[in-house]
Amino acid sequence: MMLFTTKKLPSFLTPPSLPRHPGGNARRHQRLVAAFASTTVALRTLKIVASGLICSTTFAHAATDDLQAVMPDRHFDVLDTYCLDCHDSSTEKGEVNLETLSFTLTDDIRTAEIWNKVLNAMNSGEMPPEDKKQVSAEEKTEFLRDLSEQMVLARSVLSDSGGEIALRRLNRREYANTLEALLGIRPDTSNLPDDRANAEFDTEGASLYFSSDQLEQYLGTARNALELALLAKPLRESEIIRIEPEEFYYPHYANLAAESLDRAERYYSFLGAGGTDEAAKQFGFLDAWQGNRSSGAISDRFVPLQKWLDAPENKKGAALMITIKNGFTQMKFPQLRAWQPGKYVIRVRAATYEDDPARFRYLEFSRREDQNATRLGWRKVSAPLNDPQVIEFPIEHEPGADAAYWVQKRTHMDRGDKNLHSIYVEENGYGTPWGVWIDWVEMEGPLPEEPNPAVAKVLFEKEDAQSEEDYAREVIRRFTTQAFRGKQPEPDFVDKLVTRFQIKRAEGEDLTQALIDPLAIVLTSPSFLYMVEAASNETSEKLTGTELANRLSYFLWSEPPDEELLALGKDGKLAKPWILEKQTKRLLADSRSDRFIRSFAFQWLEMYRLGMFAFEGRDYPEFDNAARDSAGEEIYQTISTLLHEKLPLRHLLKSDFVVINDVLADYYGIEGVEGHHWRKVTVPKDSPRGGLIGSAAVAAMGSDGQRSSPVERGVWVLRKLLNDPPPPAPPNVPQLSRFEDEILSSRDLVLIHQQEPQCAQCHQKIDPIGFGMENFDAAGMWRETDVIRGRKQSVLGEFPIDPSGTLNQGRTFSSFFELRDLVADELDGFAMGLTEALISYGLGRPFGFTDHELAHKIVAQAKSSDYEIADFIHALVQSKTFQSK
Amino acid sequence: MKNNITRRAILKSSSAAIALPFLESFGFRKFAAAATAPVSPKRMVWLGMGFGVTADKWFPHQDDVGTDYTFPDILKPLEKHRHDLTFLQNLMHKDSQDGHSGSTFWLTGANRYAVPGQSFHNTISVDQLAAEQLGTDTRFASIQLCAKGKGNSGGDGHGPGLSLAWNRQGKPVSGLETPVAAFHRLFSNENTPLAERQARLSEQRSVLDTVMSDAKSVQGKISKSDNEKLDEYFESVREIEVRLSKEEQWLGIEKKQPDPPLTEPSDSLIGYEEMGVMVDLMVAAMQVDATRVFTYRMPVDTMISSLGAGISAHTMSHYSHGERRDVSEMRDFHNAKFLARFIDKLKASKEADGSSLFDQTSLTFGTNLFSVHTLRNCPTLIAGGGAGFKQGQHIVMDDPKTPLCNLWLSQLKGCGVNTDSFGDSTGLINELIT
Repeated sequence: MMLFTTKKLPSFLTPPSLPRHPGGNARRHQRLVAAFASTTVALRTLKIVASGLICSTTFAHAATDDLQAVMPDRHFDVLDTYCLDCHDSSTEKGEVNLETLSFTLTDDIRTAEIWNKVLNAMNSGEMPPEDKKQVSAEEKTEFLRDLSEQMVLARSVLSDSGGEIALRRLNRREYANTLEALLGIRPDTSNLPDDRANAEFDTEGASLYFSSDQLEQYLGTARNALELALLAKPLRESEIIRIEPEEFYYPHYANLAAESLDRAERYYSFLGAGGTDEAAKQFGFLDAWQGNRSSGAISDRFVPLQKWLDAPENKKGAALMITIKNGFTQMKFPQLRAWQPGKYVIRVRAATYEDDPARFRYLEFSRREDQNATRLGWRKVSAPLNDPQVIEFPIEHEPGADAAYWVQKRTHMDRGDKNLHSIYVEENGYGTPWGVWIDWVEMEGPLPEEPNPAVAKVLFEKEDAQSEEDYAREVIRRFTTQAFRGKQPEPDFVDKLVTRFQIKRAEGEDLTQALIDPLAIVLTSPSFLYMVEAASNETSEKLTGTELANRLSYFLWSEPPDEELLALGKDGKLAKPWILEKQTKRLLADSRSDRFIRSFAFQWLEMYRLGMFAFEGRDYPEFDNAARDSAGEEIYQTISTLLHEKLPLRHLLKSDFVVINDVLADYYGIEGVEGHHWRKVTVPKDSPRGGLIGSAAVAAMGSDGQRSSPVERGVWVLRKLLNDPPPPAPPNVPQLSRFEDEILSSRDLVLIHQQEPQCAQCHQKIDPIGFGMENFDAAGMWRETDVIRGRKQSVLGEFPIDPSGTLNQGRTFSSFFELRDLVADELDGFAMGLTEALISYGLGRPFGFTDHELAHKIVAQAKSSDYEIADFIHALVQSKTFQSK
Repeated sequence: MKNNITRRAILKSSSAAIALPFLESFGFRKFAAAATAPVSPKRMVWLGMGFGVTADKWFPHQDDVGTDYTFPDILKPLEKHRHDLTFLQNLMHKDSQDGHSGSTFWLTGANRYAVPGQSFHNTISVDQLAAEQLGTDTRFASIQLCAKGKGNSGGDGHGPGLSLAWNRQGKPVSGLETPVAAFHRLFSNENTPLAERQARLSEQRSVLDTVMSDAKSVQGKISKSDNEKLDEYFESVREIEVRLSKEEQWLGIEKKQPDPPLTEPSDSLIGYEEMGVMVDLMVAAMQVDATRVFTYRMPVDTMISSLGAGISAHTMSHYSHGERRDVSEMRDFHNAKFLARFIDKLKASKEADGSSLFDQTSLTFGTNLFSVHTLRNCPTLIAGGGAGFKQGQHIVMDDPKTPLCNLWLSQLKGCGVNTDSFGDSTGLINELIT
């Protein structure tokens, strides 16, 4: 909690644009303040005014109650003309009295609620009622624009946490990482709630709930993890399992071909006999309907199979084909059991068909658990058929679950592969190109490795003289101290744990088994599950050294501090700015900082949107799972590159390079990128790639899997890049369904918004940005025309793209490239947006007005070094707020 | 102590004295008669369908109200029950803001942002309130069923939560995710000897006792506001303690088996088939009176894929024309089929007093999401005689923002749950009361 040295700014510093309205009769009030030059205060301007003030004065902190959301007085006319007939003090229809309503939305929650009602009623077109005089479009647009902006402001003022950081439970990611740090194995946490649904960031303490089910789930999860770690069997002997695919696939496909031929013969006989139900039965079909379904037995089934069987290489290996009925040619290794953890390596001897499209020349490696497939990665095959290569792919089989590992070609979601196959059959006569031929595959493992060092630490060697109980007590005490992140457990707690051990031992469990129960209880206790920070005493709000080490480590690693960091915390050295800086650098350089990059970027940029819609393979053949996963990965890899190579932030807005792998290079049509690793690749000046706004991921996130959505894209750019978020979409606005049956370009469809005043107020700002990105189709490919497809590939409409538009501040652009330049000019705003997100994530509370001064300091500090990402982090970590409770 | 008990007893009897005439005046005759004639217990069931419905097809036409309305084509399988069910239009939660959450606030009506500085807040759900009073005499106060969720990326449109139920603290209550799990919870008897089960209960208590000793030491060290947060932990421990005492009460009493007995469901059931088995389990649980309050957070994604759809539920929910709309309508049709079968089974199951289970059940089928992201006019279909409602109607409330909580309150009162308000309720739905 921050201490406020002052509560109020002196009145002369209160800008005239923020008149403070006393409550009472609004009509009278309106006359009173008429002398004031009423100015519309847009949220953005207000934020800058307010924080600018703070920076330029000697006052250390902004007090929340000096910021007010105020509806400009001139809008009183709208209320007076259209609303007060029914909603004044004497009528109060629907118990709504607008006559005495204060124009200061932030007076109290009730006032804000009434204004919110007004906003919703006008947005939905419910008020004024149809039979009453209607507000002119122009008045309505302005009224709603101001009101919705002030509502956003009011909401953040009224909901400000006042700088308080609520007691924080470890979220699901942190919990898993923390157990891994303690036990050396990763627990299965799929039973625990996914904490990302509740708040902008899953680090927000106030929104991380706890329920009785969770208590039991934590106990169960901890028990499983402890059993897997402490009772682990020694690694079994490594072995090599080799699969020669032709042994299964050659006879299998030969059978299918024979069946298809037989089916085709029966089909023609059935047709010859009149095609009736009767004829169908005679030739082995259930009825005529089933008979007729066999019309493709030759073209769709027999021909592709026979072509495969005829290829000489398939007598000693297998080309990767798709059959209409039987799916993929897949290399499936026998399942690895839950108790066979370890490192394995898969080897594939393969060659490629060099004329096939690049997309098909990859191997896809996946892990299958129950029904679920997790894609592990892709490797491009480049060797010719006469000189195959051996490709290695390492895997790590985690303990605790049975899983199988498969190798096949690249796939789409759902049934996209099947639809594409049919299209290919029409084109080339045999279906999806094979791309890769496999001679053999093998899996070797488990590869020898050192015994789990974490376990050796928990179960340290017992001294000969030590009694069993003393040993158990010491194991429990050490483990608890470590699990509690440096906090010593109470003797009473340890006693109780030792009792649990004794009971288990008496029940006949051996020494190690009997320790599992007490240790699982430790991992279910509040001191482990919560980031306990002792209440501050009167003299200091400062975190203790240990608490600071914890906060820093969970911020950048999402796991507990290592020994070095904890030791520096304990003896107080960490509080020294230069040591703190050195440690921050060390943590960022460590590979564990990848967790920060991923979870922060995922939530900040709302990357979940990438998985929200299925992209139909038929419409977006290139955007298969490999391309989609890689598109998302590009974002993390780019941020990681900027961080580790100390490059300025502006590269996220516009850049002369992209960070890609071979899959994405193929997708973007960039040549000369070989190998699956991620690397910087320079792009030519006229390339739309380079910068988030030109990435496939951002384009795809702004679509519904079928068509691009200029609105979603525009909103995303405003919120994430320009830091000028439009008010949230009002709920319950009627859908524009009257146009549902018309075929319109995305641009025309969206322009309809602007005809309705309640939409126009925000969409005038949102839509043009989206139009500027229309050259990217739903899957982020460059296009010059917007093609709207119906069923079965039919083209319903084709519209040339018009990317021109005007930004809110009046600056115009005629192409995507000019739009990107305009966005790139707004670097300061982008830096502020990033800072606000970092503060929320790092401190574990929503960004509020209390944090404005801090945000400005951080931005100013980072700006002096050209906005390097690490500088934002250093500035935050060095701040008093980060080091306070 | 003695004083206390007396006071409580007086309070109890005086509230009953107030409640009776109040209920009678609304014509809740069935309940009012409960004091004299033995009647079968009331049951309450809520079925939540996550993402909304096909907006222009699901409800009867807004102008076509009363008992003689044209039944929606898309819900054809339900038409045979039209006299025993009612469509309600214009119900909503005024505080709902989440366009992707069909279930999170459906049974609570809470305002997610009610607490400053906190991005998520919820309150007790109507089923849990009902369970507090209807669940005292049964082995389980309530049963929550749900389908395995798909996490965050659109999923089934249910939104945050573990089932439809939220406890008194507004924290999620978990559900049984598969028919197999539900079967074992409701009907399997353990073979372990009584002494061993008693030992297990005392062991669970000892675990709680141990974590509490750490919790108390934390309590003394942290600030007041942090302690408010830590209260969630204490509350969870208390809840488990209550559950353990209930288990202890029923220790040694065999779980009743339905007649004919059920066999363990297959563990590969998924989607539409899984929904059918969940219905069988609910009906069987009612027959043996294992519990009287049920919620079911139904599958959407696996349901449509089990019926052959090739798109995800979220993709479907953004239907315009073409395939997405086809799938959306197909989903509505099969949900109607599912519900019709549920009603068939409830009607066929007779109680001791000659009534059917259906006569004693208050059944609700709906979601907080109307269509796409619209949160008003929540799809609402109710059936059964449990609450004593006048069924067979299509009701369009005059106020397009009538609180959905008015329906929840009407149902609670109709089923004899003693409460004067629920959520943001402003009254009862008089059109339902005979």
